[in-house]
Amino acid sequence: MELGADTVLQLFLHSLSLWWIIVPAIFIGIIMGAIPGFAAHNTIIILLPLTLAVPVEVALTFMVALYCATHLGGGIPAILMNIPGTGGAAATTLDGHEMAKQGKAQQALVLAFAASTFGGLITSIVTLFALPLLSKVGYYVHSVEMVVIMLFGLTLIAVIAAEDTVKGLIAGFFGLMLGAMGADHVYAAPRGTFGLLELFDGVPLIPALIGLFAISEAFVMIEQESIVSSKGQERARRASWADTLSGLRIAATNWWHIVWTSLIGLVVGVLPGAGASIGAFVAYQQSRFFSKTPEAYGKGYAKGVIAPEAANNGVTSGTLVPLLAIGIPGGSTAAVMMIVLQFHGVPFGPRLFVESPILAFGVIMSMVVAYIFMILTILPMARYLAKVTVVPTRLLAPMIVAFTLVGAFVPRSFLFDLGVAVAFGIIGYIARKTGYHVAAILIGVILGPLVEQSYIRALRISLGDPLVLFSSTLGNVLWVMLALSLAMPYILKWLRRRKAAQAAS
Amino acid sequence: MKDFTITPTRRSFLKGGAMAVGAGALSASPLSKAWAAFPERNISILIPTGEGGGADRDARMFATVWRKYLNNANFEYSYYPGAAGQVGYEFYAAKSEPDCYNLLFGNLGPEIIMQAMQKPKATLGKDFIYFCQTTDETMCIFVGKNSKITSIQQLVDEAKKRVVTVATSRLPHPASIGVLALGEATGAKFQLVPFGGGNPSAMAAITGEVDCCTLPITNAIQLDKEVLILTLFSKQNVFGEMADNAPPVNDVFGTKIPELSSSRGFAIHVKAMETYPDRFQIIEESVKKAALDPEYADLVEKAGMPRSFVRYGGREETVAFAQDMLALAEKYGSLLAPKKK
Repeated sequence: MELGADTVLQLFLHSLSLWWIIVPAIFIGIIMGAIPGFAAHNTIIILLPLTLAVPVEVALTFMVALYCATHLGGGIPAILMNIPGTGGAAATTLDGHEMAKQGKAQQALVLAFAASTFGGLITSIVTLFALPLLSKVGYYVHSVEMVVIMLFGLTLIAVIAAEDTVKGLIAGFFGLMLGAMGADHVYAAPRGTFGLLELFDGVPLIPALIGLFAISEAFVMIEQESIVSSKGQERARRASWADTLSGLRIAATNWWHIVWTSLIGLVVGVLPGAGASIGAFVAYQQSRFFSKTPEAYGKGYAKGVIAPEAANNGVTSGTLVPLLAIGIPGGSTAAVMMIVLQFHGVPFGPRLFVESPILAFGVIMSMVVAYIFMILTILPMARYLAKVTVVPTRLLAPMIVAFTLVGAFVPRSFLFDLGVAVAFGIIGYIARKTGYHVAAILIGVILGPLVEQSYIRALRISLGDPLVLFSSTLGNVLWVMLALSLAMPYILKWLRRRKAAQAAS
Repeated sequence: MKDFTITPTRRSFLKGGAMAVGAGALSASPLSKAWAAFPERNISILIPTGEGGGADRDARMFATVWRKYLNNANFEYSYYPGAAGQVGYEFYAAKSEPDCYNLLFGNLGPEIIMQAMQKPKATLGKDFIYFCQTTDETMCIFVGKNSKITSIQQLVDEAKKRVVTVATSRLPHPASIGVLALGEATGAKFQLVPFGGGNPSAMAAITGEVDCCTLPITNAIQLDKEVLILTLFSKQNVFGEMADNAPPVNDVFGTKIPELSSSRGFAIHVKAMETYPDRFQIIEESVKKAALDPEYADLVEKAGMPRSFVRYGGREETVAFAQDMLALAEKYGSLLAPKKK
């Protein structure tokens, strides 16, 4: 099937006609994404009977719209309450919540929504036209390259540690140690689990995330009357449509930033095993690296919100690529979508394009349409959502604890996970009070096991030769970039000092 | 919490199997007929792997037909992946109610090998028993479509010159055993690389990260032209062109590698079978009816898998399959476990 202008228009209009399923999917997705513990794949699993009862194109459109919306929803609590709804929104807390504390919650939300929807829109259009090309990415990025890509994310620990090196590194290594718990990646033998069955699959990410961010935030919150400063409160109360427009203006001036960080997400999404967390952290790290004002990151900087949000929605487009192009799902949500296709008797992979091209291209087009609907439905809500930040903490904190504890229980239904959330909450509280950064701990927990997995695979493929890490051209290019991204701030600092010294003399 | 301290051995497993058969015989007696209302509520199915995997797909597919033989029951699914399935089995044995409303749907091959290798507290034969298999598929070796290797003979010749890398979903798996047995029988050198699941393993072979991949055959058949199947660990290739007319491994090398397959099927608490023989009888009989219903085979075919994938096995057959797997795990166990220093 040729993808000419008339076909594209036909696909667009057809997807548009499915608005009646896209709009509810968006709302469900945003709500589920905003509740820590719920993600696209478990929401789709819950709604599986619905997707099996309707025609396959309706089912796919519903799932795709819901999937995209969950990543957008995850950013809302990350900004408002420092609680990422999904792992992919963890990086959003770094600057998003800082903006909220300054009374700029509405602006931060608009930035996140604009970055998510435009980032998602751009990457789904790129996917529509460049699917065969994108499917080749997996042929070049193997375990070795994955190690380096994930190290980009891990270097954020060093960035965080820049303010207080010892504490930053301690927090990062503590996270890495926690991430190393669970069954080993080769023999599946449990290690560091203290014999606890519930830890055999590693430290559960969602309860850890809830504890480190939500519970500890609630503990900190109750020590003050409001999330935002008194100056910020005044600003938040005065928030009007003008703030929404201001957020949009900032997003528009950063359009190129949205494009390239969403493309990072797209490429990461194409890689099997990688996901929104990696995409968001890598995009944040790269955004900071190429910034002329890296010191502004972490202090409520607009680009620090745009980068992770654009990237995590870019990942959603990417994860569909291996499923559509090869027939292998790129992540857990795509795997659940594959089940629905199988139940409907629809082939996937290249056969889908041969036997049902309208359906194959239609999946991607429904993503495009879903993002357009999202822009229209979510932007006006920013003004009202931002009011959460002025809710007194005596009301907000208990609600956060109650809601998020439910979220900690949902993914695995282990009561143990409630304990994990509370334990991490206490760790997070102590960390905050003593100047350790909880994000550094979480980066270690999320990325540590993934780096280890790829590293061990690379070693097994090379029969134990560690030089395998420098055996591919692409890998070596990435290593050089990684080294540069670590060294560049120091080199620039040194150059600036030298220049200043020369000027002074 | 219940104490599960007995480690799995063939003896304990056989003892449990005998108990299970005995409980079944008792349940078949006319004494127990007060079971017409079962099930009165939803049946919970625990899957010891993740959402969207093969076991999830097959359990749901089977349940769509099964419910009509089971009082139009509804099913709830829960997922407990981790440690090659150990988390799911331990959770099932220790924390789910042994009342016939809680079943486990697992991958018999790899998970029985896990039982033998990792010796979990939840013991096969003592705490739970597989009472049926619904599907069965042979293991195979395949390469990506761009690979220079086009036959199993070529692959083995290459593996005699250098170490050939083989992607596998996990080490304790019948497919991994097949590759190790092939290496032992032919002198070929293979390095197994676990990728943690069928999809990433297949991807590694397709993208050329590894030389080849070993998995159950439906994974390869569903990938159609993206892969080339080189050989099957079975007596014959009943799939023909769907499996690229690949020859059985023993036909090529004259070896005596045992048939290697993996079944999927249901397990139940031994205590539930003993306490509620009437309920268990309903479950067992209805599973059989559903598995033999052509509608189930139609569903399987519609999902892109061969009809021969459906293979019902009763309790005795499933117990025999489990014994074979335990024997294989014992034979190749040292190759699948970390070397002790």
